[in-house]
Amino acid sequence: MFEYSFMQNAFVAGTIVSIVAGVIGTFVVARNYAFLTHSLSEIGFAGAAFGLWIGWPALLGMMLTTVASSVAIGALESTYTKRDNVTSAISALAIGLGILFLALGHTSSSAATGILFGSVLGISHRDLYLLLMLAAVVLVTLLFNYRTLRQLSFDEQGMFMQTQRQQGVRYVFLVMIALSVSISSQLVGSLLIFVLVTLPAASAKYYATTTVQLMGMAIIFALFGTWVGLSIAYLTELPTSFFIAIIEVLIYLGSVWQFKRKA
Amino acid sequence: MNAIIDTHQLTIRYGDKAIASEINVDVPAGSFYAILGENGAGKTTFVKTLIGQHHNYVGNLKVNTQAIGFVPQFRDISRDYPLSIAEFVGLAFNRGWHLFNNQLEKSAIHDALEKMDLVDIADQRLGLVSGGQRQRAFVAQALVKRPELLILDESTASLDHEHKIQLLTTIVRLQKETGLTVLFITHELNLVADFADGFLFFANGSVTQGNAQALKKLTVDMTVTHPENEVHYV
Repeated sequence: MFEYSFMQNAFVAGTIVSIVAGVIGTFVVARNYAFLTHSLSEIGFAGAAFGLWIGWPALLGMMLTTVASSVAIGALESTYTKRDNVTSAISALAIGLGILFLALGHTSSSAATGILFGSVLGISHRDLYLLLMLAAVVLVTLLFNYRTLRQLSFDEQGMFMQTQRQQGVRYVFLVMIALSVSISSQLVGSLLIFVLVTLPAASAKYYATTTVQLMGMAIIFALFGTWVGLSIAYLTELPTSFFIAIIEVLIYLGSVWQFKRKA
Repeated sequence: MNAIIDTHQLTIRYGDKAIASEINVDVPAGSFYAILGENGAGKTTFVKTLIGQHHNYVGNLKVNTQAIGFVPQFRDISRDYPLSIAEFVGLAFNRGWHLFNNQLEKSAIHDALEKMDLVDIADQRLGLVSGGQRQRAFVAQALVKRPELLILDESTASLDHEHKIQLLTTIVRLQKETGLTVLFITHELNLVADFADGFLFFANGSVTQGNAQALKKLTVDMTVTHPENEVHYV
């Protein structure tokens, strides 16, 4: 199957996305940001539809809206307003707008399906460079803020003496989630972001006991699902996202089951 | 003895409202002080003022150290919380970007674990150990940067009597051996009466300071007023 350049591109893209998703997913799961991440992907759908309507690349539209929304959510959430409620309100608005933009732009149903469920087999060389660049930005930023982010995610109550910089890391983290969502949606689509960003890290937490182990295992689970999913999709000519989703869900259920048995 | 905390005519406000007025206290370095008072009396706000997280006050406040360890009242640790006790303790090293702890950090973590008798279970998952061990891990994290002042916010509230005594005994031993100053926010007067060198009592918008004898007397008075409670909640 590697004789086809579209399969080569798909594997490279899958590998890049899995690494980013495994790393950011570790902090997303630790900070209980699963719902926010899912909502950002819905918001990304609206952004992609907006992009297509005005003639921009879908990924650019997606990045702009997810980044803007993540900053808005960060600014609105407080002790008085629950994060989930703020997120629900913004994502409800986004889905409504997404449908409107699709209609206004007379976007074809295949383009809409591509946004929602991913189009990994249609990834070009140019897309790959863009993915690689975005992934590098996310990974370097996360590494640069690693220790603050680690404490923020795993023990926010322990950050009792917060400096301005540490408060700023919240926003940096939200923006990195937004970028990761945009990147990951290229592979599994905006409806299945959970599959790569949340599930591998949620599975890893039943095996690993340090942050580095968690990131490593999350990457392994994400890579395994992506590579096997792509291969089965090639053989069966059925959608890639479906197989990646099934594999990640099975890994997750197996992890929970094993943890319950041991604990 | 030098005071580690020294206030003069300190009034702490929340918005326009004064929570505690004209506080004149001095806590000697190396002592164990209980901070007592009803919910909402201003104990936690006072502590937040000490650690520089609450700035709405007038008067003089001197805290003669920047090395402060704080154990907050609430910690969200579920059973599937993944980190080991050692990794959790190391979270306090929150500056920089290195993925792994350096030798100095490793030895500080080991030292803190040793102080709280956690070395044997350092690799166990924090979510799966007992409540007492979990509280010890919280204290170990607050100790990892070797503070001069340790503040505990109701750290024994969720423990059974045996574990309460165990935790307090360990902390008092540390205080005596290392000269650590301990501020212990609690409602359990009986529990600290045998350990504390003094107390700060928050009530009716003011703060009373007293020594160990006064604390014992206060405990007796309160128990007489409320004899039905073996452990009295002030």
